[in-house]
Formats: sequence, C-alpha cells, structure tokens
Amino acid sequence: MDQAFASVTLQEGTAAQVREIAQADILVGIPSFNNAATIGHVVKAVIAGLAKYFPDRRAVLVNSDGGSTDGTTDVVAQASVDLGPMLITDRQSLLHRIITPYQGIPGKGSAFRTVFELARRLDVKACAVVDADLRSITPEWIDLLIQPILNEGFDYVAPYYLRHKYDGTITNSIVYPLTRALYGLQIRQPIGGDFGFSGKLAVHYVDKHVWESDVARFGIDIWMTTEAVSTGARVCQSFLGAKIHNPKDPAADLSAMLVQVMGAVFTSMEEHQRVWPRLHGSNPVPLFGFQYEVGVEPVNVNVDRMIASFRQGLADLRQIWEMMLAPETLQALIDTERLPPHGFHIPDEVWAKTVYDCASAFHRRVLNREHLIKAMTPLYLGRTASFVVETQGLTSREAEECTERLGRVFERLKPYLLDRWGAVEEGPP
Amino acid sequence: MKEFLGTALLEPLATVGTRIVQFLPNLVAAFFILAVGWPLAWGLGRGVERTLRLLSVDRLADRIGLNAALTRGGLKPDPCHLAGRVVYWGLLVLTTIAALGALDLAPINQLAIHFLGYIPHLLTAVVILMGGIFLSNFVARATLITAVNGGFRPATTAAGLARWGVLLVALAMALEQLGIAQHIVVVGFGIAFGGVVLSLALAFGLGATGLSREFLERQFGRSADRKKDDLTHL
Repeated sequence: MDQAFASVTLQEGTAAQVREIAQADILVGIPSFNNAATIGHVVKAVIAGLAKYFPDRRAVLVNSDGGSTDGTTDVVAQASVDLGPMLITDRQSLLHRIITPYQGIPGKGSAFRTVFELARRLDVKACAVVDADLRSITPEWIDLLIQPILNEGFDYVAPYYLRHKYDGTITNSIVYPLTRALYGLQIRQPIGGDFGFSGKLAVHYVDKHVWESDVARFGIDIWMTTEAVSTGARVCQSFLGAKIHNPKDPAADLSAMLVQVMGAVFTSMEEHQRVWPRLHGSNPVPLFGFQYEVGVEPVNVNVDRMIASFRQGLADLRQIWEMMLAPETLQALIDTERLPPHGFHIPDEVWAKTVYDCASAFHRRVLNREHLIKAMTPLYLGRTASFVVETQGLTSREAEECTERLGRVFERLKPYLLDRWGAVEEGPP
Repeated sequence: MKEFLGTALLEPLATVGTRIVQFLPNLVAAFFILAVGWPLAWGLGRGVERTLRLLSVDRLADRIGLNAALTRGGLKPDPCHLAGRVVYWGLLVLTTIAALGALDLAPINQLAIHFLGYIPHLLTAVVILMGGIFLSNFVARATLITAVNGGFRPATTAAGLARWGVLLVALAMALEQLGIAQHIVVVGFGIAFGGVVLSLALAFGLGATGLSREFLERQFGRSADRKKDDLTHL
C-alpha cells in the first residue's frame, strides 16, 4: 500500500499507475458497485466524449469500485469504442484507465474520495464524475461537464436534467428549495449525481475531514454542491437531457437514504451558518447546453400507501414530532387528517416550516439525530403524496412550476428559519 | 452496711460512671461528626446542584433524553436537583456510619462494615437500572420509528415490548447485583423472556398468518398484489 499521502491510501498498483501517468488534464471518475449491466455503456460514452471533444488533452478514466462481485471491473477494463463510425478521427492522446478499489466506509462518497485524491496526485485541471447506472449518458455529457471548467472559468458544473415530475422527489420537495433559499443560487439538481469540477476544488474536497460521516455515502452529492457554493466557487449548470438510470428499490431503504442526504444537508447548514443567514433571495445560475424537450419514462406512484404512512406517523410518532416541530406546524399537519385521499394537501408554507423546524431541531439536538431524520420519513411521504395529488394531470413542465413556487416559499420563510435556528456565531464567513 | 453500700451500690455506679466518662468522648466525637458532616453534606449537595445548573446540564439532559427518561421513571425531570440530592443523601449516610463507628459499639461496627461492603453493589445496581432506563427509551424510540417507516401497524406495541424487554433485562441484572434471590431472578427471567418470545412467535405464526405472509413476501419481494410504485427519491 502506498502511504505517500496520509489522507487516502491507494493500492500499490494504482499508485504505480499514477506515477507512470504523472500528470493529466482531465479526469473522469465513475464510482461503482455491482453495475456490470450498465457501466459498459457509461465507460463507452466517456471514452467517446473524451476522444470527440478533448482529443489533444491528456485524460484519465477512473473506476472507483466498492468490491463488485458481478464483474463490473472486468466490463470497465474491456469496454472499447470503435471511433470510426462516430466520425472521430483525430484522437491524439492515449486515454489512461485506472480501475481501483476504494478504502473507507462503503458508499459513493468514499469512491469519490479516491477520485479526488487521484485528481490531486495527477494535478488535473478539470474533473467529472458520472454514475455507473446511467442509461441515458451520451458523449456530449462529458463535453458539457468539462468544457465550462476548462474554457469558461467555472469551478463547479451541476447537471440540469429533464426528469419525470415524480422522479427525484427528495430533490424537488426538500433539497432544491432548501439549497436555493439558504445559499441564494437556483441550482436545480444539487444532488444530481453527475458533476464537473476543477482540480482545485477536488483538492479542497479531499482535504476536508468528512469521510467518516454521511458524506461518505449518499450525502456526497449535496455536500459537494454546498461546499462549492459556500466557498464562493463559480457555479454553473449544464443541460444534459433526460436522466434515465437503473431504478433502485424505492421503498427498501428510504429512511436510510433520508438520513444520509438530510444528515449531510443539515450538517452543512451548521458548518456554514456564518454564510447562509446573510443571504437573501436567490439568483439564477448560468445554464449551458442546447435545451430540448424529451420524453421521460412514466413513474408509477402509490399515493394511498404514502398517505397511510403519513397518517400512521401522525398517530404513532406524535410525541416525537412534538419535539421536532413548532406547535402551529404540527397542528397544521394534524388538520390534514380530515381530508379525503383525493383532496389530500399539505400547503407549501406548512411544508417549508416543517423542513425548517426539522433543521432547527437537528441543530438544537432535541433528540438523537438519526431518530430525528428517520422520523421525517412519514412527513416526507405525506408531502410527496400531496404533490402527486396536486400535479395529477399536469405535464412535467407544468409540475415544474409547482416546484419553483415551493422554492419561492422557502425563500420567503427564511426569516422563520433564522428565528427557529437561534443564535449564529459571529465572525468572518 | 457501709461496706455493703460501697460494694453493691457505689461500685457499680462508679463503674457505670467510669464507662460513661470513657464513652463520653466517643459520643462527643459522634455528635461532632454529625454536626460537621450534616451541614457539609447539605452544602456539597447544594454546591453540586448549582454547579451543574451553571454548566447547563439541564439542557444537555433534555437533549439526550434524560429528562424524558426521568419522567417516565416517575422522577422529577430535574437532573441537577437529583444529582444534588444523591450527593447529599450519600454523604449523610456516610456521615451517619462514621458517627456510629465513632461510638465504637461492636454490633454497630459490624453492621456498618456490612453496609459499607454492600454500597458498591448498591451503586452498581443503580447504575445498571439507570442505564437500562435510558437504553430502553432509546430502543423503544428506534423500534417505533422503524416500525412506522416500515408500515407495521402495531408499531406502538412493538415499541412497548422493546422497552419492557430491555427494562426486564436491566432489572434482572440489578437484582442479581444486589444478591436478591440470585438464582430465582435468573431462572425467572429466562422463563419469562423465553415465554414471551415463544408466545410472540406462536401469535405471529398462527394468529396472524396473513400478516406474517405479507411480511415475508415483502422481505423477499414476492408480493403479487402489491401496487407498483417506482418513485425515485434522489
């Protein structure tokens, strides 16, 4: 094992490869765990994208794997593209391929940490990370994630996808409006999963001591975005078209997923509490890429089950919710009990206050933090059911307006958050 | 007659007087220990209470769920006051034992030695019980949230069972520590706990066949009538 850098340990073979490559301009990272079915397509898209758009740049493809047993790494090693039919003829620089296991807590964040470390050691100018389960990735994604870094002076590129109105509901109902209200930037997919960032930002990431927390798991996406925004990095978005990826079992580990994502969001709020209270309103973020309409896969939703979960929460978790929520917020949620399923509705204002109450309760440690976030699960399902009922019959674009409206409500109620949050330590941001 | 008076009456009186004179310093010492120890215990108890209040231990106790646990355990949710009282009564008991020891009476000395030897067991039992109460609250809350998130209808019952399970274990351990009917406690707990588990297994398997089938199907993903839901959250 190589111990040159105390922070991240690389396998000897990987370290030797890094020494051999010495320096690169671009690095594209793909975290994986048992993605043999889909990763081949992703690797081919990356190879084609680098060949087509960055033929004269020294590029490295990194697969940071969590110990797959389905032959994922073999697929990565063997994936190749015939560039001729793609009219790519001027590929000059050899694409290096590093396939390495990552160390640390099993999760996407730990995989990214190895990618950041390799970016540092290779002194790259621009990086991109893409998920291994993508089915809609094209070579253009690499251009759109890397080009703003290399040629436009941006530090961080967030993805902008076209998604079904019920795809990414944690993003739509919590993370997007909250991030927008807190940090004043309208980054539509702050936890999109596919990002571009500068080598400088990669070094900043790897130097942070967060790799034993939820950031090492699903919390990595929002943490990267929040770190970029709060440290004053120049942020833009790139239009990537539809995001189609292999579905995960949606209900199997929802509360664990919430713990990881919301834990990272709330912890970042504490980390940057000298930054966000000073910001008011929000600004659009530059958007690159040619925008077009695209059909998205339909999403089946079981509203009755979500409402049942919310109502069971009202009945059984009342004592815990009383500790987390302001009395008037809880009362507003209790008032929904008399609504029929087809008219079930949690108003935007009530939902924004619910999220703000939970963030403040997390900050004040009114109860065990993992319990607190897990107890949010029925609340989140209730709000999602409300959104589904409200947007039934609307197109995804029309439903998007509801999400934008929610973002504005979060902004308007930010003073409520400040009031609930309590004293903020004074000092330089 | 004079000799009789001297031997039968005055000599015992003199002996008693001598003993009283000999015992007097012990009595004075005992009173002195009590006179100093009692106010000292009171002062230290108050001091501990005030110091803990200054250190905002109340808020900390609220955060970690200690107050809720105390309320549930039938105690006033004021840990600073409680700690102060524990210090006061602990010191008062020690002072009393020291005062009785100063009297230098054999039976009392014997009793004091036994009592002092018992104190570590008593303290251990108290710590085990307190730990059990906190752990039971934690486990009950975790069970409740997990059960609700899993759509398990009798979630509060499951949480209650989890709470009492942990409390019973703690109680059995505490009683064993106190040496109260050790074997009966261990065997009784084993029988009671085993009985509860067997009853639950039978109730789940026989009385709630539908529920158990649904649970197993959900675990192994073979539910045919489950309405499809492919909502993606991230």
